[in-house]
Amino acid sequence: MSGTDPVTRVVTANPGPAPGGEVTPRSGGGSLSLAEVLHNRRVISGAALVVLITLFCFAGPLVYHTNQVLVNLNIINEPPGPGHPLGTDQYGIDVLGRLMAGGQSSLELAFAVGIASTVLGALYGAMSGVIGGFGDAILMRIIDTLLAVPTFILLIIVASMYTLSLEAIILILTLLSWPSVARLVRGQVLSLRTREFSQAAEGMGATRRWILIRHMVPNTLGICIVTATFGLADAIYALSALSFLGIGPPPPFTDWGTMLTNGVDNLFNGYWWQVYPPLIALVLVVLAFRQIGDALNDIVSGGQSGAIFQRKRRRFGWVPMSTRYE
Amino acid sequence: MTWYLTRRVGQALAVIIGVMILTFILLHMEPGNVARAVLGLKATPARVAIFDDTYGLNKPLYAQFLLYMKQLLQGNLGISYQLQQPVSGLIAQRLPRDALLLGLSTLLALIVGVPTGIYQATHHNQLVDDVTAGTWFTLYSAPDFLEAFLLIALLCVQFHVFQPNFPGGITSVGGVLADWRALVLPVFVLSINSVANFSQYARSTAIQVLASDYIRVARAKGLPRRLVLTRHVLRNSLLPVITLLGLSLPGIVAGAVIAESVFNFPGMGLLFWQSALSHDFPVMLGATLIIGIATVIGNLMADIAYGIMDPRIRHVRN
Amino acid sequence: MRKTRRMAAAAAIVSLATLAAACGSVGAKVGGGGSAVSGKKTRGGVVTIAEVGASPNFIFPYAPSTNSDGYNVNLTMGLWPSLVYSGDGGKSIVNPQESLFSSLTYSHHDSVITMVLKPWKWSDGTAITSRDFTFTYNLLKVNYKNWIDYTQGLFPTDVTKVLTPNAHTVVLDLNRSYNPAFYTDDVLSTIVLLPQHAWDKTSLTGKVGNFDETTAGAKAVYTFLQKQGGDMGTFDSNPLWKVVYGPWKLGTFNSSGYYSWLPNKNYSGPDKPVISEAIWTPFTTDTAEMNTLRSNTSIDLGTLPLNDVHQVGALNSEGYTVADLPTAGVAEIVPNLYNPTNGPMLRQLYIRQVLEYLINRPQIVSKVYAGYADPGNGPVSVLYGKQWDSPLEKAGGPYPYSPAKAIALLKAHGWKVVPGGVSTCAHAGTGTGDCGTGVSAGQPLRFQLLYTSGITSFDQQNAAIQSSEEAAGVKIVLKAEPFNTIVATTATCNASSHPASTCAWQLQDYGYNPYFLDPSGAGLFNTDGYGNYGGYSSPEENRLIDATEYGSSTSAFFAYENYTAQQLPVLWLPDASFLYVYKKNLAGITPWDPFSGTLNPEVWYYTKPGS
Repeated sequence: MSGTDPVTRVVTANPGPAPGGEVTPRSGGGSLSLAEVLHNRRVISGAALVVLITLFCFAGPLVYHTNQVLVNLNIINEPPGPGHPLGTDQYGIDVLGRLMAGGQSSLELAFAVGIASTVLGALYGAMSGVIGGFGDAILMRIIDTLLAVPTFILLIIVASMYTLSLEAIILILTLLSWPSVARLVRGQVLSLRTREFSQAAEGMGATRRWILIRHMVPNTLGICIVTATFGLADAIYALSALSFLGIGPPPPFTDWGTMLTNGVDNLFNGYWWQVYPPLIALVLVVLAFRQIGDALNDIVSGGQSGAIFQRKRRRFGWVPMSTRYE
Repeated sequence: MTWYLTRRVGQALAVIIGVMILTFILLHMEPGNVARAVLGLKATPARVAIFDDTYGLNKPLYAQFLLYMKQLLQGNLGISYQLQQPVSGLIAQRLPRDALLLGLSTLLALIVGVPTGIYQATHHNQLVDDVTAGTWFTLYSAPDFLEAFLLIALLCVQFHVFQPNFPGGITSVGGVLADWRALVLPVFVLSINSVANFSQYARSTAIQVLASDYIRVARAKGLPRRLVLTRHVLRNSLLPVITLLGLSLPGIVAGAVIAESVFNFPGMGLLFWQSALSHDFPVMLGATLIIGIATVIGNLMADIAYGIMDPRIRHVRN
Repeated sequence: MRKTRRMAAAAAIVSLATLAAACGSVGAKVGGGGSAVSGKKTRGGVVTIAEVGASPNFIFPYAPSTNSDGYNVNLTMGLWPSLVYSGDGGKSIVNPQESLFSSLTYSHHDSVITMVLKPWKWSDGTAITSRDFTFTYNLLKVNYKNWIDYTQGLFPTDVTKVLTPNAHTVVLDLNRSYNPAFYTDDVLSTIVLLPQHAWDKTSLTGKVGNFDETTAGAKAVYTFLQKQGGDMGTFDSNPLWKVVYGPWKLGTFNSSGYYSWLPNKNYSGPDKPVISEAIWTPFTTDTAEMNTLRSNTSIDLGTLPLNDVHQVGALNSEGYTVADLPTAGVAEIVPNLYNPTNGPMLRQLYIRQVLEYLINRPQIVSKVYAGYADPGNGPVSVLYGKQWDSPLEKAGGPYPYSPAKAIALLKAHGWKVVPGGVSTCAHAGTGTGDCGTGVSAGQPLRFQLLYTSGITSFDQQNAAIQSSEEAAGVKIVLKAEPFNTIVATTATCNASSHPASTCAWQLQDYGYNPYFLDPSGAGLFNTDGYGNYGGYSSPEENRLIDATEYGSSTSAFFAYENYTAQQLPVLWLPDASFLYVYKKNLAGITPWDPFSGTLNPEVWYYTKPGS
């Protein structure tokens, strides 16, 4: 591996600013200035979409009043038409209104679980990787145990002992998702610790906490953002799986995942308006978040990756990047 | 290395015993009476008493646990309350089939996902990157049962290209393979999520790798792009993928409940799920044991693979 | 998941195997186009039947107390049919041609039964004799505690003496008088004869003897037979199971639930099989089955989940007919009369009446079940067994949907009614115009309804009930749980025992209660009945039920039926029918026999177009 490459060692042993103004961000914490974030086009577009959807879900019902609680068997499963722009579901409840109500739960769930589990898992995993040795072994064996315990029983126990509320579900899902995040981050951290910059830091006597916060966390940001994005989708999916299996919260609770589960039952019957709206909403949120996350990652990492392979027009004309470091 | 392995095996045993104890306690925390859950509407006090007697459920918890461990060491996993068959038989029947199905889908995901992720990384911030990522995230966000239904509706009902599920009555791996056309849809649906995972994690790491100095140097040295990608970038981007593979091993033996229900593929997932619902302790314990073993093996193999991928990891000072 | 009803249905169809069926109207086909199958009758052909959910795991006809798999009877019914066969065409009566007895006489005030067996033979040529009956009785007498279908107080413990005057006659002395219809239909129908000449041994290689005549021997034989009966790997090869007397014998069996029946060439009964093989192929869920039904024609007979009733048109065009089969049973919401908070309220008849008045059953039947359900007018389903329908039930039962009546009742008993909110008790006390004993002032009219999760129509039905109850301020809080969880965490709660741990439930809707051929309320509505989960107890009810069990007149039955419908020991609900899908050219399936509904392939045959 390139670790033994004397050329590389020479280059990275002096992590000063390279000629051309590019600082390789791998050598230290990335910078994340608010100004940069707020001016990035992709962050703005992603955030705008998220804000729009959030407004739709939370402010929408104030403008568009529908009954979301009472069942009306006389108008079940009606296609979109006057009075019901997106039709009705199997309880006779307006789908558009349900989309808004469901969105409130789903958004809360997705962001809470996605971010909480990522933060928890990342800290745990990073800590484990930095401590290393026996401590790492113990922490990882705890993770192994948590991963192996059957989550079904846990879910069934909790579902039958308590009527699951949104808060309870958020808690449970977070607890169930963070172990894998920990493993991912720890793996990354182990690899980062082999890098010269971190060995240099350790050699200079930096405390573990310093290394953790100043070096590890920013460098694992990429992985963490990907994890959080998947985590969003996973949280919503988890709730739909719970209702598919019959242990989700009872009506009148609703969220996009449950709407999907109930709608899929009716797919053969052709009630497309019960399936595609929540699906599209869900996908939009995930994609918007991904956009933001990806842009953030770029900002932190300086955003020049892959440039080596890109043939972009540059100030000095069409010049392959590699020659800049001769 | 052997010393490392011995240590890890020892730790693995400790974890597995820990998991079994935890599961045992959790099982007995499930509210309700086991006999009544299994016997359903036929439960009378007399039958409940016979049931409890037959299965030793009236003994104290630790005594039951020790009895179970003793039987386990003799290779006896007990008899399923609900299905009235030896648990080891049930697992031996279903596990290989699941391993085949999920193994194939993981393999497919690996083959498709990793190159895709790296490709995306090399075209970072271009349209193709965003479109590909968008596609994978869309497919990932849609629940698998929805995707399965849509595919079945299209490819089986509308156009009779594939059959919608496995014919009932298949017991062996050979039987599954003989009807390989039925595998196409389930493998495809199951691999979607993994492809998204593998590709996006590989992409994220590859982006970092591509930004590092040694890659620049390698390119500067004149190394062809293809070699840079395969020799340096690929190898270094595999780290999270390896972690994910290790994490997916327990998934392979735990089966996939939803895919199994939709595609008529009675596997470990459904077994596990139904036994959780019906308080079928022996099956739950047996399945937990298998999953526990798979978890520790998976993570162990991932850790060893880290060391192989990046020998420096082995020597990091602690 | 749908397995709740499947299991319960199987249990009904199953263990009481001979329950019978429908009446004329039941043959009605769904989705139009339901005329009788026309065409020439052909011999041979294989019928593939879809089997959804669980599958059989035990082949010896008497399963142990630990084995509650309701599908076992599906496997054994064609091989060893019941002594008393229920269902004749579409009529819910005992079928004299298919039953094993040629005459059944009750004497000595209906406490002695004289049964004459037909001169039928086992599949190996040996004659069926009364020795086989005593063999069966001896085994059960000693081991009844370990028989899953034993009903407390009935066969074999209610028999004081068994005599066999000759090879074909059996005389049973019962410990008391029984209503012959009840005893024949509900008790004798659970008995299956076992071949003494082949099974009276204690090991596979041992010789056959008269081991059953001693207690120790009977135990040994029963234990041996049970052990063999659970060994799934040998079902199709074990010589024991090749000795049958039904129209079928076992073909292949594999442990995934796939098995087949082949015609028994030596069947002595009237309906010898026409088709060449009946195959059951397992499906994990009805979704998987539905997908197969829509994609290809590999299934010849299957069930249609109620949710997919709109698929009938598509199925018709693929060459399938769809028909509905009413369920022989009663669906109900069981109130826990001994719940710590709400028990006193639920014990008041007027409260139960209020709850029932607020359930809009006709709307549920037409919207949730697309019309395929019994309207739930009382303890007896009006869709089958017309001889059991009292005029009161036929007219719609004593509690048609009426929010006005509910509100009036509440007001008359001192409640402050808040439509859309929660009504509270304004005048606590025990006088007229007061809320009643044990109801405190200000107590809210709020109940938790626990129901089986995973079934769309249940979700819809109970959500609709929640909404309609609000019209009089009755607040229903819904909680859905898997069936097994409900059964495991709730228990019978009555006056003598209502432990807090298992009596926290208030209203329960777990599915439905299957009936025997004779839909008596014994066990369901009598004090301490095994199925009386809510603790309803009324001496008058007990008296009326006894009158139906131990006496035999239609007026006695109607008296029981009307009183029970009016007393609301449980809240009556619509009971969904089953929908079956089968190939257009498969005849003989209708008229249905809902107790052996899809388990009598000996009367099926394929037709070819043409005359």
